[in-house]
Amino acid sequence: MDTLKMQIDGQWLDVTPGMTILDACRTHGIHIPTLCHLDGLSDVGACRLCLVEIDGNHKLQPACTTKVADQLVVHTDTEKLRNYRRITTELFFAERNHVCAVCIANGHCELQQLGYSVGMDHVRYPYLFPECNVDASHEKFVMDHNRCIMCTRCVRACAEVEGAFNWDVMNRGFNVRIISDFNTPWGESTTCTSCGKCMHACPTGAIWPKEYAQGQLKKNPGMIGELMEKRNMKLT
Amino acid sequence: MERKKLATIWLGGCSGCHMSFLDIDERILELASLADIVKSPVVDGKSLPPCDIALVEGSVTSDEHREELFHIRKQARILVSLGDCAITTNITGMRNYFRTADVMRNAYQDAASNDRVGNYPDDPQLLKLNDKVYPLHELVKVDYMIPGCPPHADTIFYVLSALLQDREPDLDRVKKIKYG
Ligand code: SF4
Ligand code: SF4
Ligand code: FES
Repeated sequence: MDTLKMQIDGQWLDVTPGMTILDACRTHGIHIPTLCHLDGLSDVGACRLCLVEIDGNHKLQPACTTKVADQLVVHTDTEKLRNYRRITTELFFAERNHVCAVCIANGHCELQQLGYSVGMDHVRYPYLFPECNVDASHEKFVMDHNRCIMCTRCVRACAEVEGAFNWDVMNRGFNVRIISDFNTPWGESTTCTSCGKCMHACPTGAIWPKEYAQGQLKKNPGMIGELMEKRNMKLT
Repeated sequence: MERKKLATIWLGGCSGCHMSFLDIDERILELASLADIVKSPVVDGKSLPPCDIALVEGSVTSDEHREELFHIRKQARILVSLGDCAITTNITGMRNYFRTADVMRNAYQDAASNDRVGNYPDDPQLLKLNDKVYPLHELVKVDYMIPGCPPHADTIFYVLSALLQDREPDLDRVKKIKYG
């Protein structure tokens, strides 16, 4: 297969056509923060954490949905990007209700980790404190909208890996919510197979199994990528 | 170096941050060699005199807290938010998702443990709850933040000993940021 030449953070690299800038970075050990990307799922560019600067393009572009191109010059770690990543992270915390002290995911949460990695010691924006539902109607799992960051990893894991299509997205902006079936209690779903893939895919304490208590939650989001890899294996 | 004046103050919090402060154990002697404690919940109830550093635990939940915070800001050269309640409102802010009247009715009348005729405490002597609980930096300028519920004793000691020796603490650089 042909390879292309592109520059990332001052380094010329050989990359494969068709891969995303994020793939190229990961292949070459260059770290870019992500939340809505999960190996094994399609990319939607929802969280805006992976934004990069591209020479000759005045708009920042998400690395997870932008394909590599020959002679592309990309910057992943500039002052401007660090500033935006901090802002984005703060807005996640300001938008819903993240009370880490009593959260099931405390200590095992991708959002919390992100806060640490961008050096967030406080949020500069006013908290919105929305009233959010906690749906505990499912036999095994709880969906707590207080902790949801709308990355839609659950929606894609359910549709693309399990093929059940239980989850979807309703409304826009401040009122946007993940819904089960047609916005009915999860426990009444006619599509959910109770497989738990959404729970593993979810980066925060929004979806969790009932048998766990505060701070105990451990998820295995890597399982989604592994499943997809095995599914695509050709056995001869 | 001149001895500094240090104050620690308790607003809308559970005193867990103060407990964690006491967990610095014998290192408190090191701090005592650099500063005088001019006010603290474990010392007395006087109003805050002018001071160099005020560590403030807890959020602003009432008219009384608000007044006290404005007073602290006037008196303290350096104001430090201590703990998640001061910085995010944390548990104390969970009532912000609802109307205060509903929260009060729930707590004092409709709660399962209640006889449903309970009155809520409204003696004029008592502080008046704000409709909303605020983190400190939404009302006054805050100079440093020590997140955590509670912040680790080592983290509190790190910030205090830096400030008492006129150094800039930087929790990010020393990888001591923690929530919850
Ligand atoms: S989901 Fe993560 S960031 Fe949000 S409260 Fe829970 S531990 Fe904290
Ligand atoms: S429930 Fe979890 S996986 Fe689904 S959108 Fe919210 S944060 Fe993402
Ligand atoms: S990981 Fe690229 S936008 Fe979320």
